[in-house]
Amino acid sequence: MAETTASIARPVTGKAVDLKYQPGFSIVAWTCLVVLYAPIAVLVLFSFNENRSVALWTRFSLDWYYKAWNNEGIQNAAITSLEVAIVAMIASTIMATMAALVTTRTPPYRGLNLAVTIINQPLMVPEIVTAVATLTFFALIKQATGVTGIGYLMLAHTVFCIPFAYMPIRARLEDMDLSLEQAAADLYAPPLKVFRRITLPLLTPGIMAGAMLAFIVSLDDVIITLFVGGPGETTLPIYILGQIRRGVTPEVNAVSTVFLGFSVIFVTLIFLFGKNKK
Amino acid sequence: MKNILLSIITATSLVLAGSASAAGELHIYNWGNYTNPEMIKKFEAANDIKVTIDGYDSNETMLAKVEQGGSGYDVVVPGDYMIAIMLKKDLLEKVMPNQMSNFKNMDPKWVDVYWDKGRNYSIPYQWGTTSFQVDTTVYKGDINTLKLIYDPPKELQGRINVLNDMNDVINAGLRYLGYPRCNSDKAQLKELNSLLLSAKKHWRTMDYSTIEKLTSKDVDLSQNWNGAAMRARLQRPELEYAYPKEGFTGWMDNVAVLKGAPNLENAKLFMNFMMDPENAAMTSNFARYANGVMGSEKYMEAAMKSAPEIIIPASAPAPEFVPPCDQDVVALYTKIWTNLKK
Repeated sequence: MAETTASIARPVTGKAVDLKYQPGFSIVAWTCLVVLYAPIAVLVLFSFNENRSVALWTRFSLDWYYKAWNNEGIQNAAITSLEVAIVAMIASTIMATMAALVTTRTPPYRGLNLAVTIINQPLMVPEIVTAVATLTFFALIKQATGVTGIGYLMLAHTVFCIPFAYMPIRARLEDMDLSLEQAAADLYAPPLKVFRRITLPLLTPGIMAGAMLAFIVSLDDVIITLFVGGPGETTLPIYILGQIRRGVTPEVNAVSTVFLGFSVIFVTLIFLFGKNKK
Repeated sequence: MKNILLSIITATSLVLAGSASAAGELHIYNWGNYTNPEMIKKFEAANDIKVTIDGYDSNETMLAKVEQGGSGYDVVVPGDYMIAIMLKKDLLEKVMPNQMSNFKNMDPKWVDVYWDKGRNYSIPYQWGTTSFQVDTTVYKGDINTLKLIYDPPKELQGRINVLNDMNDVINAGLRYLGYPRCNSDKAQLKELNSLLLSAKKHWRTMDYSTIEKLTSKDVDLSQNWNGAAMRARLQRPELEYAYPKEGFTGWMDNVAVLKGAPNLENAKLFMNFMMDPENAAMTSNFARYANGVMGSEKYMEAAMKSAPEIIIPASAPAPEFVPPCDQDVVALYTKIWTNLKK
């Protein structure tokens, strides 16, 4: 993100009049970047603080990382986060892939737009509305059936991850040249074989990008998890949220930094997969 | 005959074993970072029970979640006013802690409280006070008055943080004016409103992160909870916790059991366990507040026993526990608060 903004900001063709050049753009861009990233930089910095303050610097130390690593609450929360994110990633990517195929590889039909809107619904509805609705709905089911467990949380995550997985997959499908698939069909390959040998390999970068986006979105979610999670189903963001009222220590900064590291790695991977497209 | 006798013995021993060990699970829903993991390990080992702990960030989050039913939690730790609300909504199980064996350790002054008279539903978890803390090198006069917040002297003007909390700010203001709590008297509230507006000019921030504000020397006076005040003092020793003569707020978090708790018997075991002085002290040593169980002082860390934030001096007024106000009072308060925050 930083690179693209910066390169837009710079005039491309030297002194000649350039329609793409916007005066003052680079100042605005840099201000935005600083406002966005300065707090995160401070958070990372204080995760290495020696004392228990998140505002007063004394000395560099890795104590808080050590403490966070040995904190059972954080360990359990991290495991729960990963379990939920992996299941939600796999399930939502499979569904998003099928949805993307249905909305791009079939002749246009009545209600196609409606279908796309419904798939993307979790992006439009405010999250708190989905959260409260899901909470009430699941509470009814739990009371009626007596079935409890982490499955509910995984299901809820899968649902809101679908549009995030769907978008890159659909974009990839729309970009792909139809002639290869048509050629395969011309040579009497049955549809399933066309899909397996032609469409799927070409689609893989899109699927990978979609899966990673879904993984990150699930890992970062707070509101829906806060409402839907049952006993022993605290994820890392919920754990961090619970600490705030009782005073934040650099332990939370340390966990957040590790979290941030994960996010950066994944976003970079998504970017790299996206780049290999052409 | 022998067979009958044998089966009776087996049955009795099964019942006894059942009530004594109660192997199984217990799901606790408490404020985040508020449960001592060592204490939980001790409870697990003593009773052969697997405990899960989840954290919430406010009474209201907890209420929203358990109100729907089927949350799966057994034990919750609501604040005093929240116990009153949950009892009105019929969300708590009448587990009669006053009949439990360890109830003898309960400090009598915490038995007949407004939110649970006679303690039929809940026991104290931690309690504390909400007052304020001043740097005594910046302000050298008598700190035990709310004047410092609502009509501050020169040296404190612009150096004050108040909690971003409607009730804490309004109740302290009412105390300073000498008016009753849960007040719907228009004239008195008008006076309060202008007091708050004139005082706000001298306030630097309205924020919950009191420890950070004080220790980074962003402010020299902050409204604060006593446990947080103690932690702030350890980093900035000039800070002193005030017991204003006009009065100050007391609060208490309480252990209670949800209606329909899946592990009711284990929840009761836990309640009784929490009234043991040694276990109550384990919580205090971790969460840094007083617990309401007699005899727990013996097991508390030395720093806790002598902390002026925890031990209320004899000269100070008793902390006041403010019950939830009626809807129309809350509406008036909200108006004043919204206007103040503009």
